[in-house]
Amino acid sequence: MILGLRRSVVIAASLGTVAAVIISILTWKGAPVTSETFLVTTYIGLFLGALWAMYATGLVVVYTTTGVFNFAQGAIGVFAAFLYWELHVNRGWHSLLALFVVVGLFAPALGVVLDIVIMRRLRTASLVVQLMVTVAIMVLLLSVVGDIWEADTPRRVPYLFGINNGIDLGPAQLPWHRLIVFVVAIAIAVSMRFLLRRTRIGTAMRAVVDNRELAALNGARPNVVSSTSWALGSMLGALGGILIAPELGLDPATLNNVVIIAFAAAAFGALRNLPMAVIGAMLIGLLRAHTGAWLDFGPDFRFAHLSVAPLLLLFVVIALPQARLEVGRLAHHLRRHERYTNWWEGLFGCGVVILLAAAFSGGWLDFGIWDPGSWGSRELNSADEAMALALIGLSLVPLIGWAGQINFAPLAFAGFGAFVYLKVIGGGWVTFLGLDRFGLDPQQIRDIDNGYWILAVGLLCAPLGALVALPAARLRGLYLALMTMAFAQAMSLIFFPHPWVMPIIGTGRQFPHIELFGVTFDDRRGFFMLMVSVFAILVYALVLLRRSRYGRRWMAINDSQAAAATLGVPVVWTKVVVYAVSASMAGIAGVFWATVSGNVDSVQGFDLLLGFNIVLLVAAAGVSIPMAGIFLIFIPLFKGFGLRLEDAGNVDFLVTLLDIMTTYGPGLMVLGMVFNPRGAIFEMGRGFSPILPWRKDARAEIAAENAQKREPEIGELGLERPFTPEEVIAIDRRLGILDDVVPKEGYGASRS
Amino acid sequence: MALLEAEQVVMRFGGVVALDNASVDIEPGEVTGLIGPNGAGKTTLFNVVTGLLPPTSGKVRFDGVDITRATVAKRSQMGIARTFQKLEAFNTLSAFDNVRVAVEKNHRTKWKHRRVSDVAHEMLGKVGLDEVADVTVGTLPTGSARLVELARALACRPRVLLLDEPSSGLNEDETSAIGQLLLDLVADKDNDLAVLLVEHDMSFVMGVCARIHVLDFGKIIAVGTPLEVQADTAVRAAYLGSDEFRAAYAGVDE
Repeated sequence: MILGLRRSVVIAASLGTVAAVIISILTWKGAPVTSETFLVTTYIGLFLGALWAMYATGLVVVYTTTGVFNFAQGAIGVFAAFLYWELHVNRGWHSLLALFVVVGLFAPALGVVLDIVIMRRLRTASLVVQLMVTVAIMVLLLSVVGDIWEADTPRRVPYLFGINNGIDLGPAQLPWHRLIVFVVAIAIAVSMRFLLRRTRIGTAMRAVVDNRELAALNGARPNVVSSTSWALGSMLGALGGILIAPELGLDPATLNNVVIIAFAAAAFGALRNLPMAVIGAMLIGLLRAHTGAWLDFGPDFRFAHLSVAPLLLLFVVIALPQARLEVGRLAHHLRRHERYTNWWEGLFGCGVVILLAAAFSGGWLDFGIWDPGSWGSRELNSADEAMALALIGLSLVPLIGWAGQINFAPLAFAGFGAFVYLKVIGGGWVTFLGLDRFGLDPQQIRDIDNGYWILAVGLLCAPLGALVALPAARLRGLYLALMTMAFAQAMSLIFFPHPWVMPIIGTGRQFPHIELFGVTFDDRRGFFMLMVSVFAILVYALVLLRRSRYGRRWMAINDSQAAAATLGVPVVWTKVVVYAVSASMAGIAGVFWATVSGNVDSVQGFDLLLGFNIVLLVAAAGVSIPMAGIFLIFIPLFKGFGLRLEDAGNVDFLVTLLDIMTTYGPGLMVLGMVFNPRGAIFEMGRGFSPILPWRKDARAEIAAENAQKREPEIGELGLERPFTPEEVIAIDRRLGILDDVVPKEGYGASRS
Repeated sequence: MALLEAEQVVMRFGGVVALDNASVDIEPGEVTGLIGPNGAGKTTLFNVVTGLLPPTSGKVRFDGVDITRATVAKRSQMGIARTFQKLEAFNTLSAFDNVRVAVEKNHRTKWKHRRVSDVAHEMLGKVGLDEVADVTVGTLPTGSARLVELARALACRPRVLLLDEPSSGLNEDETSAIGQLLLDLVADKDNDLAVLLVEHDMSFVMGVCARIHVLDFGKIIAVGTPLEVQADTAVRAAYLGSDEFRAAYAGVDE
């Protein structure tokens, strides 16, 4: 302990400072630093910081009062900004009226609805479900925005009171809008702090999150309190969105990405400390403004100045105290007899998948009145993309589903795989390592069957997974999610855009058609079926892995790290292995992902939403079940099928339905996790398995459940007093008392 | 020499002193009890001994070797196993798989010539859970889940077994069966096992323990046979919880 600070904080802070100084010296632009330029840059920094502080305040308020970290905070802002544009610009309402309607009426209503319909039910859900559901809300809100306000119209949200009016600060003009933002942000932070710490409702809010039942006994009304929290958080998000839109432009993705900066600021305050979160936001604002003004990262690192927030988030998260080996959440929705897919069922399922894919794409299906015919390149293109993403999604099954390690960076791993593949097949490493002296020739490398190189990519990606796992192994749940997200963003801003990593050469194919066993998969359908086969093989490998000692051990550390450790399981090492396996799978998937389009563009740009969508899909399918991975294949199949429908015409209804399913499906299905956290496949499997002739056990289970419904356990009869006469009779029967006489008012009435 | 020794262990959480120079020693071949009022620091001592908490000061020695800095997994491999007061069973796995995880981890070192599933079934049989072997532990009653933890701990083939309230959630018959199992285990010379038992059920403790340590406010206030401890005034004071009692008898023992 130095100055009362934890050692990890001191180490991270000094490392960060040293890195910042070195980077500054290396990239110094040489622009003259005058007090004037310095002051102007500082104003800009503080202003940016104030904007982000507003978002961060909303995050912290909702987290401290409901225990839910709201990934949808930015999306609420996006929605509000678009609604404000609609009312103020499109319909010509006065700005203050529009502001009042959006922030004062719409936002709190949205917050309350979210609370009543969804958030309240998440109280006892596992962290994975909580996270997934808020991410799903984010994705759904953004989809709705995209559907209502089409992207091709240019839109602008004007500054309040115009950009040219304001006070003169000497070196710079400070527009009213920015002054208002600054004052409002600080006022909001101060008043929220006051509300939480000094008022009755604030105390109740903080009490409810700690122990809802106890708080209720002491007179707090938990439902009112949590609705208030969500209304407040939603208002702050809406206000932030409207005020930031004039600065960033009205683009859903850009506006939504602001949340990452807000996450970094909130993490700076350990997610609960409001003043520290505001300071964090200001710090990021100042760093952003000053790096922009004084440093030049050159064309190779052209997005590096944007990476201040993700890097700070990484540092903060790594500096956090080590999570103690504790666990406490109850697992819900367990089945009395858990049954894992066995080897021949796995083979059977995978065979069915391959057949289905062949049938869909090859036009074997004929519905009598309508024959969809075989897929053309348009269908196959669309299906290929979805197939590659399904492969990436599969890598999350062992990591999230079994080991419970949340990972928002599957695309970063996949992109890394594509990068490694590009370098490996290029053969440049032969000369670099001096192997040409032994008679190896880069040209020979290019002639070797790609299959070996794909396996090599798998091996070479494992260390990256392990590298991420090392800091991750100290973290749990939410911080892990934030860390992987920051890692993914840092990779996409610093690593992938570098011309050495993904050089853009000419217009031809940079990722060659894959050659396996002497066959070149250059026709679209062949390549699609190759991906389907690889997918089926990986699903089958997962089926076997889950039944193995490793699968068991990974699920065990998810249930209780402390217990696993006391049995001799090295927890950190185990996590490193899981990450390495997942990174290998994602890396191999990345090769296919890059080969689909053939050039580096698709791999280069990391789309936060795309990454979230993959994670959502896997979660919706039921991330713990390897066969659930099979669900992922329906997305490409439906995509191709939908396009065929469109071509055939006359089935608009079905096309629209499929369109809605692919846009909103994953999000809506994840919302379904509120009711069954184990995902859609789990429910489907329960309905489906009794049909299979060999699943006597599934039929027996259904029968047992039905029997139990008729004869509930005493504990399940409900503890709501007073008991109704029917309940009393049921209890008596269970206890073997045959006397069915019950007082009119029921038992236990006097207690209330 | 004692098989496991905790020596002058101090554990501070901020301003709270959970363990205050607590020393405990455990001999093989017997069940040692650790009793004390709620919040006395019993579970904290377990966490220090198994390595889940690094002590503020003090030493933990196993078989004469200082293991204060050893990792949890390392201590487990050396032969320290435990159960938890707040259940830490692998809820999503079946009872059989819970035990299997433990056997698999220790297969090479401790169960070399036996099949994993045989050992796992034997351990479940010892605690009387053969019938629910393939039931998901999260759906079992608390008492049975505790027994799963016990079977899992036994599957590590421990030399020291730390049990944190194994009888809670069990009925009288089941409790006495566990007591008998513990006595059998320590009596078996091949096992060379030492058991440290934290328990609130006094008749259970007095029935199986050869020696008892009494912990109160992080301090060991008495050590002795069940009879000696029962007669101890400081112990009575701690359990009655009266301040005058405590003041009057402070320093009488230890």
